[in-house]
Amino acid sequence: MSKKHTEVKVPHSVLMSVESPGRYVGGEKNQIVKPITEGMVRTVFCFPDIYEIGMSNLALQILYKVLNGPEWSSCERAFSPWPDMDAKLRENNIPLYSLETKSPLNEFDVAAFSLGYEMCFTNVLQMLDLGGIPLLSKDRSEEDPIVVAGGPVTCNIEPMADFFDAVFIGEGEEVDLEFTAVIKKYKDEGKKDRKALLKELAKIEGVYVPSLYTPKFEGRRFAGFDMEEGAPASVKKRIIKDLDSVDYPTRPVVPNNNVIHDRAYLELFRGCIRGCRFCQAGFLYRPVREKSAKTLCEQGIAIMKNTGYDDLGMLSLSTSDYTGLPELTDGLLEDFKPKHQSLSLPSLRIDNFALELMEKASQTRKSGLTFAPEAGTQRLRDVINKGINEEDIMSALKLAFAGGWSTVKLYFMLGLPTETMEDVEGIADLAIKIEKLYFDTMRELGGKSRKPEITVSTSMFIPKPFTPFQWEEQNTREEFLEKQSHLRALLKKHRNIRYIWHDVETSCFEGILARGDRRLCPVILDGYKEGNIFAAWDQFYKDENWQAILARYDLKWEDFTKGWSTEDALPWDVIDVGVTKAFLKRERAKAYAETITENCRSKCAGCGAACYKAGICYE
Amino acid sequence: MNNEERLKQMTRQQHQHEYVCRGVFERKGALSYIGHLDLKAVFERALRRAELPLLYTQGFNPRPMLVFALPLGVGLDTEGDYFDVSMEVPVEPEEYIRRINEELPDGLRVLSAVSIDEPKNSLMSVVTCASYRIEAPGITDAVLKVFGQESVETMKKSKGREIKVDIRPLLIKPLTSSAPDAAEYMCYAGSQQNLRPDVLLKALCETQGYDEKAALDARITRLALYGGTYPDLTSIEGLL
Repeated sequence: MSKKHTEVKVPHSVLMSVESPGRYVGGEKNQIVKPITEGMVRTVFCFPDIYEIGMSNLALQILYKVLNGPEWSSCERAFSPWPDMDAKLRENNIPLYSLETKSPLNEFDVAAFSLGYEMCFTNVLQMLDLGGIPLLSKDRSEEDPIVVAGGPVTCNIEPMADFFDAVFIGEGEEVDLEFTAVIKKYKDEGKKDRKALLKELAKIEGVYVPSLYTPKFEGRRFAGFDMEEGAPASVKKRIIKDLDSVDYPTRPVVPNNNVIHDRAYLELFRGCIRGCRFCQAGFLYRPVREKSAKTLCEQGIAIMKNTGYDDLGMLSLSTSDYTGLPELTDGLLEDFKPKHQSLSLPSLRIDNFALELMEKASQTRKSGLTFAPEAGTQRLRDVINKGINEEDIMSALKLAFAGGWSTVKLYFMLGLPTETMEDVEGIADLAIKIEKLYFDTMRELGGKSRKPEITVSTSMFIPKPFTPFQWEEQNTREEFLEKQSHLRALLKKHRNIRYIWHDVETSCFEGILARGDRRLCPVILDGYKEGNIFAAWDQFYKDENWQAILARYDLKWEDFTKGWSTEDALPWDVIDVGVTKAFLKRERAKAYAETITENCRSKCAGCGAACYKAGICYE
Repeated sequence: MNNEERLKQMTRQQHQHEYVCRGVFERKGALSYIGHLDLKAVFERALRRAELPLLYTQGFNPRPMLVFALPLGVGLDTEGDYFDVSMEVPVEPEEYIRRINEELPDGLRVLSAVSIDEPKNSLMSVVTCASYRIEAPGITDAVLKVFGQESVETMKKSKGREIKVDIRPLLIKPLTSSAPDAAEYMCYAGSQQNLRPDVLLKALCETQGYDEKAALDARITRLALYGGTYPDLTSIEGLL
C-alpha cells in the first residue's frame, strides 16, 4: 500500500470548460480535511454517480463521519465525473482525485464504493480507471488500494465480483472500522501478502471476498460455488441493533452546488413492517428498528443549526409507520416555525392526521399527493401483499380533495407475477374513478372546481434477490411494451390524467444485473471500455451496444431473467440476510394463493430476522 | 419587477422597519467555481447558521432578504463585492462580521460592513462601475491595445440571436497593474450597462489574436464596485 502523496492540480481552464465545476473542487462547510500522516489508514468513499446525487446520499454522510472518527483513520470523497470532465481528465492526463486532499484514488489504502442501484456498475469502472487503479481484482498489486463496496446492491454482487476485492453485506457503521482496523494492523506489521490480507478480511462477519469463491455452471445454469479453504460457507448481514446508540451525522457536509434535494435528512428507522412481496428493501433491512423520538428531535434541531438548511427531510421506508411520529413532528415544528424551517414528509399514508400534518409541516403551497397502489386490481394487490384497498385510497382522496388538494400522483408497476391484461386495465379504471371522485367531491362542496391533475406513472417490475419473487420470470420487453401501449390507449381520452412511463430497455438491463452472475463481469468490462457509462441516465444508455456485447459472450437476457425453480442454486446463496429461504418460499406460495401476510407489528410472520435479537422482533 | 422583488416589497410594506447590514466580501479558491444562485444559497445557509435576526420575505416560501450588488460569474474571484441583508432588529457591524465569518466556508469572507436604516434604493441599482484584474500571459499589452482603439466589435448573444456589439464605449480606463502578466482596468457595470470580463477576453481573442487557451486559463478578479457617475465615483457603502 502506497505511502506517497501527490496533490492533483486541475488547471483553471479545465474547470472553466466543464458544466458545474463546483462539483470538482470540494471546500464545503463541514468537510473534514485531515492531515496525511504515516500509518494512517486512508479511505476514499467513492460514489459512482455525479456529485449532486452522491451528496444527497445519507450513507455517504454517515460513513464519512464514522471513518473520520478515530485518529488513525481518514475518509475523503470522490464522485463520478460527468462525461465532459471525464474527457478533460483523460485529455490532460489528470487522475481522478479526492475532493479533500486532492489525492489520486490509487494513493488510498481503501477505495470504498457505495452501490445504491445496479445501473451505476460501469461508473465504478470509470472511477477505478481514472483513479489509476487496475480494474480487475486479480491484477491489483501491493501498491493498490483494497477496493470494496457496500449498499443494498451488494446482496448480489456477482456481476461485479471480478472488480471488488471485498464487499460489505448490511449496515456499515460498525463493520467499516473493523475492516480498516485489520488493514491498519497489516500496514503496521509491514506485511506484503494481499491474498493473505483478503483471507483475513473474509473472517470479519459481513465481509464477502468474491475471489475465494469460484462459480460452477451446468450448461447455461449457475450450479453453486467451489470455495477456497477458510472461506465462510455463508456471509451474514451486519446490522446496528440499537440505532439510538450510534453516531448520526448532525454536522453533514453542506454542498455549495445545487444538489438534487437541497435539505438535511433525518433517518427515522430502518426496515419496514409491511412486507410488500416485490420490495427488496423491505426484506433486506429487517428487522424494523426505530430511533426514539427524543433522540430524533435533538438530532433534527442540531442538524438544522449546523447546516443552515430550511427544510428537513424524514427518511425511512414508510414515514407513517414510525410510532413516534406525532411526538417527533410536534417537537420539531415547535422549534422550526419561528425560524421559517419546514419538514418534508415523504411516503406518508394519507389520512386525516397526515393531511393536517402536511399542512402544519410545510409553509409552501399545497404540493401534490402521492399514492403507490402498485397494482390496478385488489387481486393483484393481494398477490404482492400491498396492504391497501380501493376504499382506503378513495376515502383518503376524498378527504384530500375536500381539503383543497387537486394534484395526485399514482405509482404502479407493470409485469408483476400473475398479472393479466385485466389487472393492467384496473390501473386505468382506478385513475378514472379518482377523476370522477374529484368532480363529485367538488360538486358536493359546491365550490368552483379547478381541474384536477392526476398522474399515473408505471415502472417495470424487476424481480430482486431476497424477495419472495426472486425466482420469478421477468416480463419480456415485448410484454412490457404491450402493457404500456394498452394503458396509454385507455387513458388517452382523459384530459385530466397524464400517463408517464419508465423506459423499458433500461429496466430490462437492470433486470439482468439484479439477478446476474459472474458471466456478466466481462460484459460490464466491455461495456465500460466501449463508453457505456451513466447507464442510469436514459440519454447515455446504449441498448444496442449491450445486446452486441452479450452476444459476444454467447449470453442471452433470458439466462438471467427466465427465473429459477425454488430448488435451484442461486448466485446469491452464500449471502445470509437473516430472512430465510423457507420464509420466502412460504410467501411465494401465499402470493400465488392471493393471500396477504399481516405486518410485523400486528403478527410475526417468522421471517428469520429475529436471529438478530433486535428491534421489533424483541419489543 | 420580478417575483422576488414583489415579495420583498410586500414585506417592506408590512414591516415598519428594516435594518440592513451592508457587507463587503471577498471570494477565492473553491468557492469561485459556483454560480450566482448557488453563491446566494451558500450565504443564506451561513446566515441561518449564524442565527442572525433575519427578516424574511412574506408569502408561501419565505426567504431571507438578501441582495447582491452585481452577480459574480462562475470562475470569478472578488476582493470587494457588496451584499445587503435585512434584519428585524439592528445588528452591530462588528458583531455581524464576526458571526457570519464563523459560518462562511473557506474562500468566502466578509471584510467590512455598515448598518443602514431603511435603504431607499436597491443595492443593485446603485452600481455603475467596476474594476477588474485579469492575470494571464501577455494580457497587459493586449488590454492596453484595446484602450488605444476607437471601437472593439464582438458578437454577443441577445434574445437567441447573435448581434454585433461595440464594447469599447463600456471600457473606462486602464489602471496601473502591480504584477507582470496582469491587466487592471475600470469599466461600466450594473443594470444599465455592463461589460463582463469574459466578454472582454473573447473580444481580445477575436480582435487582438489573443490565445484562446490562455484566455480560458486567465484568472479574473473583481477588485471593486462603485456608484455615482464617472468621473465622480463614490463608494457603494455610503449609497442609500
